[in-house]
Amino acid sequence: MHELGVVIDVVHTVEEFARKNGVTRIDTLVLQIGELSSMIPKYIEDCFPAAVDGTVMADTKLRIEVLPGNGLCGKCAKAFNILANEGACPACGGRDWEILSGKEFMIKEILAC
Amino acid sequence: MDAFKVLEIKKSVYEGNDGRARELRSELKRDGVFLLNLMSSPGSGKTTTVVRTIEALGAEMRIGILEADLDSDVDARTVSRTGARVIQLHSGGMCHLDAEMTRQGLSGLGTEGLDFVILENIGNLICTAEFDTGASRNAMILSVPEGDDKPLKYPAMFAMVDVLLVNKIDAMGFFDFDMEALRERVARLNPDARVIPVSAKTGEGMAEWADWIRTEVKEWRAS
Ligand SMILES: Nc1nc2c(ncn2[C@@H]2O[C@H](COP(=O)(O)OP(=O)(O)OP(=O)(O)O)[C@@H](O)[C@H]2O)c(=O)[nH]1
Ligand SMILES: [Mg+2]
Ligand SMILES: [Zn+2]
Repeated sequence: MHELGVVIDVVHTVEEFARKNGVTRIDTLVLQIGELSSMIPKYIEDCFPAAVDGTVMADTKLRIEVLPGNGLCGKCAKAFNILANEGACPACGGRDWEILSGKEFMIKEILAC
Repeated sequence: MDAFKVLEIKKSVYEGNDGRARELRSELKRDGVFLLNLMSSPGSGKTTTVVRTIEALGAEMRIGILEADLDSDVDARTVSRTGARVIQLHSGGMCHLDAEMTRQGLSGLGTEGLDFVILENIGNLICTAEFDTGASRNAMILSVPEGDDKPLKYPAMFAMVDVLLVNKIDAMGFFDFDMEALRERVARLNPDARVIPVSAKTGEGMAEWADWIRTEVKEWRAS
């Protein structure tokens, strides 16, 4: 499991952002995670309480948006969802594709006052 | 009632590590230490390849080894028999190394007087690819028993490496491993990656691997 270290990094980044922007209370943190990222949303949620413990984000809620893992077929150039199609192009069955999106791990925004 | 507003941050989580990795890379450049990050699944032959590499290049380069492992120090003991400077890093349950852990490892090893350091990363093909360690070059080992379809399953790793060693070719007869299919798959993901078939057991291909390292080190020094 590699999520905890990364989530602690996220908390640091958000704390710094809050400081710089004069934010005193963060209600919700919104993260975006690609379907093809090695970060598992469930694990992120599980270790979030430990990562925010004792910080200004101790009461902050976490929301995760999942971004689709899309590929571009190398044979017929069709764009398709890699997981939903189990790695095969739905148009030609090709298994050689290039990743268009889905590896992201972004701090999207915060709801704050 | 509190009125919340949305504050957009839009920052990649990897940004912090990427920045630290760039810093480490340029410090290593300044100090003349070429760092090679060696990745693979568990048991593909990283440690055996490290030992072979020390044998091939030990006379012309001062080599140090960072052995990363979840827990044990078996690999560091194996490598220390070559006489090379080696340190065992424990990742504390983390399944990858990041730039900060690599920096700590390098300072524990002591890079003074070294010109080539190999980092044996943790056996894992997924997240090791997502964390820049600050290495000058990235290498991956795929061993024949793992199969020629791995680029389809772990595209991120194959897309980021500078060189791919296909190890255990001495065992080719026991597996239906199609080297040409593998080369094609790798080329699609990463046209610049060099593919070198080797056997860390028999030594086959190790001369080509050593030559690749010599060329890259020379290029890196001149850059
Ligand atoms: N037949 C054959 N066996 C090999 C070769 N290279 C390594 N091995 C064997 O494969 C096993 C694993 O090799 P290691 O070098 O320990 O692999 P590793 O990648 O360092 O393993 P971890 O650090 O545990 O992930 C050992 O039993 C080696 O002797 C090879 O080229 N051919
Ligand atoms: Mg090993
Ligand atoms: Zn297609």
